[in-house]
Amino acid sequence: MSEMILDDQPQDDGTAVNQNPVERAAALLKERFPDAVTDDTRDGYTGLMVSADKLVEVATALRDDIGFDYLSSVTGVDQINDNKMEVVYHTYSIDQGGSGLVLHVQVDRDNPVLPSLTPIWPGADFQEREAWDLLGIHFDGHHDLRRILTWDGFAGHPLRKDWKEVFYEEDHKPFGSRWPGGEVFRAEEKTVYGKNVRYPEGWLPTGDEYDVETEMYTGITYTRDQQSGMKTDKLTVNMGPQHPSTHGVFRMVVTLDGETVIDLKPVMGYLHRNHEKIGERNTFIQNLPYTDRLDYLSSMSNNHGYVLAVEKLLGSTVPERAEWIRILMVELTRICNHMWALGFLLNDLGALQTPMLYFYLERELILDFFEEAAGSRMMCNYMRFGGVAYDLPDYVREQETISFLEELIYEHIPAVLDQGDGLMTNNEIVRARSIGVGILSREDAIAYSTAGPVLRASGAQYDVRRAEPYSYYESLDFDIPVRYNGDIYDRYLIRMDEMRQSLRILEQVLPHIKATKGAPIVDGKPQYAIRMPNAGESYGRVENPKGELGYYVTTRRRESNPDRYHVRAPSFINLTPLGKMCEGHKVADIVAILGSIDIVLGEVDR
Amino acid sequence: MENNPVLIEYLPIAVLIGIALFFAVLLPVLSLNLGPKPKENARSKMIPYESGIVAIGEAQRRLPVKFYRIAVLFILFDVDIILLVPWAVTFRKLGLYGLAVMGIFMVLFILGDIWVWKKGILEWE
Amino acid sequence: MTPGQIALRALIVGFIVSFAIITGFAYTTLLERKVLARLQHRVGPNRAGYIPLPRRGGGPERKLLAGFLQPAADAVKLFFKEDMTPGKVDRITYTLAPMITVMPAIILLAVIPWAGEITIFGAEFTPYFAIAPGLNVAVLFLLAITSISVYGVVLAGWASNSKYAILGGIRASAQMISYELALGLTVLIPIMLADSMNLGDIVAAQANGWFVFRQPLAAIVFFIGMMAELQRAPFDLLEAEQELSAGFNVEYSGMRFGMFFMAEYMKMIIFSAIIVVLFFGGYRGPFVDQLPGLGFLYMILKIIFFLFMMIWIRASFPRFRYDQLMGLGWKRLLPISVFNFIIVAVFIVLQEEGVFDSLLKLLGVG
Repeated sequence: MSEMILDDQPQDDGTAVNQNPVERAAALLKERFPDAVTDDTRDGYTGLMVSADKLVEVATALRDDIGFDYLSSVTGVDQINDNKMEVVYHTYSIDQGGSGLVLHVQVDRDNPVLPSLTPIWPGADFQEREAWDLLGIHFDGHHDLRRILTWDGFAGHPLRKDWKEVFYEEDHKPFGSRWPGGEVFRAEEKTVYGKNVRYPEGWLPTGDEYDVETEMYTGITYTRDQQSGMKTDKLTVNMGPQHPSTHGVFRMVVTLDGETVIDLKPVMGYLHRNHEKIGERNTFIQNLPYTDRLDYLSSMSNNHGYVLAVEKLLGSTVPERAEWIRILMVELTRICNHMWALGFLLNDLGALQTPMLYFYLERELILDFFEEAAGSRMMCNYMRFGGVAYDLPDYVREQETISFLEELIYEHIPAVLDQGDGLMTNNEIVRARSIGVGILSREDAIAYSTAGPVLRASGAQYDVRRAEPYSYYESLDFDIPVRYNGDIYDRYLIRMDEMRQSLRILEQVLPHIKATKGAPIVDGKPQYAIRMPNAGESYGRVENPKGELGYYVTTRRRESNPDRYHVRAPSFINLTPLGKMCEGHKVADIVAILGSIDIVLGEVDR
Repeated sequence: MENNPVLIEYLPIAVLIGIALFFAVLLPVLSLNLGPKPKENARSKMIPYESGIVAIGEAQRRLPVKFYRIAVLFILFDVDIILLVPWAVTFRKLGLYGLAVMGIFMVLFILGDIWVWKKGILEWE
Repeated sequence: MTPGQIALRALIVGFIVSFAIITGFAYTTLLERKVLARLQHRVGPNRAGYIPLPRRGGGPERKLLAGFLQPAADAVKLFFKEDMTPGKVDRITYTLAPMITVMPAIILLAVIPWAGEITIFGAEFTPYFAIAPGLNVAVLFLLAITSISVYGVVLAGWASNSKYAILGGIRASAQMISYELALGLTVLIPIMLADSMNLGDIVAAQANGWFVFRQPLAAIVFFIGMMAELQRAPFDLLEAEQELSAGFNVEYSGMRFGMFFMAEYMKMIIFSAIIVVLFFGGYRGPFVDQLPGLGFLYMILKIIFFLFMMIWIRASFPRFRYDQLMGLGWKRLLPISVFNFIIVAVFIVLQEEGVFDSLLKLLGVG
């Protein structure tokens, strides 16, 4: 626990002109690309408007010369009223911290083609695929532009405003089924064993050789390797979706040479429900419970990011007690989530369920507290715009809340952390399995847009709570743990460190909770039917246990539901470098590397 | 056989092999007859399991077994060890002479081991 | 005794011991599940079968030994499950593989001494109670038969024609070639100490002290090698659930699937018995000379101890990767056991030749 560096000094921008980095960067860009870069002057919008043909140059300059080296989020927006497709890039500076520079790129809606940013930021890979999948924006130069969340045979791009859900939203319903004829192929046609397939008489599917060639396998179906002396075959194995250790319905197409991984492609979307479309149809407050279901292990943090984004649009303030309660809840969630993550990581290393179940008891206590406070253990739906839903309960487990929390924070959790530390951290097999495996360098971690523990274990000390403080984090005393090797073991240690830092935060929060007892917990009257006072965009980002969780929300004036609602899901984006991390390792390591990234499929697939 | 005490020692083992065979046949036969029969249209059940995805290609093909050199070594070393067994039973009688002879053998054995190790054959990945 | 009598006795004793071991296998699974559960703050199986004890003053009755019928329920379930043969398998090998795995586990029972010289129902067992007593190459027999069962696993993996199964099968062979050497060398040490390959003699030689106290290193190496041979955690690579779903047995169902488990747990019991015989005094214990029947009890208690150790280790440690496992076998255990063997051999010979006596005399101690 030695490599922590205190990073709570205000950032010194180092210029004589008193400008913040974002303004300086914007000015520099405008100076260098006078034709291509202009201010975004739309009402309620910030950032720059970049023309599509200069996008690559602007992004390169931004990354290399101006220091905004971290592409956090890529969002496609359908501006149907202007007949434009818009792509919003949120870029940040890892070293300087601070708020981000937002680039808007608008292209023709009928032929939306943009240059791909994957050569500059490989982390844009999955996000561009997502924008292609859901909005039909074509990224020129993307090496593998396939559907990612919806299935291969899906018709249309569902987040386009003029997309109608077939059969249900059509004006007239010419078909007896949900699929319009001819345009789509059924899942059954891809698997020769489906029920709807009529087989020839006497034909046994298992009897003869067949080839299922989908786009998935192109480029990874190896035949004979002529290079080596012995003629041996490569083996392409699917791990998942029905696999015990993919943390849900996640699929990895792995090509093996012996047991050595030579190629790995993640496939996701088996749990896709188009969360963002649901968000656009819901009113602002209706959408809160849906955010619980993203990363269902840390619903409080999900709530927090969303209410921050909407509060920015509403311009509402949060009373003091509500802020302290929010920090209390979010940090407890972090502990909860990391306990779960470490338990499962050890489980993936083959330790049966013992470590997980040892962490279980204290996690139970936290969940009991959540249940008393919010009414639900995991789907908390606890925060509201301008506050929280309910005040803290008087009693938890027949104990006064404050004394329960004190016992939890000062006794139970430190004890279980010490126990876990003693049992696992220096275990020979854990070290042998995890040190030097799945290495992600600092440069790669930043380029691949990873966030949270994955980023910090690779040596980038970046935490939204410090880089762009929200809530009362600025006034709290805690360290951002950082590790430098970027392997599984460091990702394990960093979570241990973070839990201890969360305890430090909680110790500082408790007196405030005590002191503000009885104070209001919501700003003004609780609002249900919200009409947005102003049009505009907002991006609320929080440090979720799994990384930076961002909500991009745009709205029009007097609207009651968002115009575009996008989630920057840390689990999803952290998966981008998975293939790179796994290459050259063994089958057994894949599972451990995946476990060390700590994904939740509810958030990956959305 | 009656006159050969060595073979009589092995007679119970022959009987036990019979018993083992009895259990080994009985269990699958019972299981195959007691359990429900596969349905006619259970085709998807019949395909090899690969996490719920239809597998591409056969699994039975030339897979690279990278540790084949270790496998060859194993046979050599295993034979060496088998040679040690009769010596281990009689070495008290053989005394220092036996120890010296086996010492030469063991030196060769260890030299071989060291050579293999230095050659990097044990580092098969 | 005539050969006919010997065969008849072997048949009767063999059946009784086999049934006992099969029951033992069933209850080892229960032991494992219960102990694992307790180690993980859980309860374990507690529904199938209990002895109701009425509670004084009414209230719900107490349940004694809850779950003790779980193995029976499991067995019935396995028998009545659909035992299907997938379409693309190599049928003959697929059917033979579980048999090849189970048979060695039963055949290994032949030489294990369960008690000393004993008379049961008028039948006299000399020199000790075993199915095939007096086999003078018993240790070699054990090593030979053990190696056979790995064929079952490799063939099961190959015949299944599933990628996970094949990877599991390859891992099985990798594991076998890594640990047999260390195991074979370590077994020599009790042979040398007892000067016999007869397991009865080895047990008798431990009357004045178990070999584990004279050769703890050999016992530890044997225990590690034994767990690798048994494919128990942390060496359970070939059925690594997290990696290969179930490894070599992924395509099996019904009792043919159960047979792999049967072989694994029976071998657990038998190897526990072997390590007890080689290093922990076998059936010897207090008063065993007066009451030979106690030998069974000591044997069973010692076996349960080792079963518990294996379960405990399974609950505590993550799994090795299979190149690490081979490295451990070839680069650690093999050199250790080679040098241990040499040291033991040299010391015993020098002692026999009286070198130590003369040395001590030279130093003026003796």
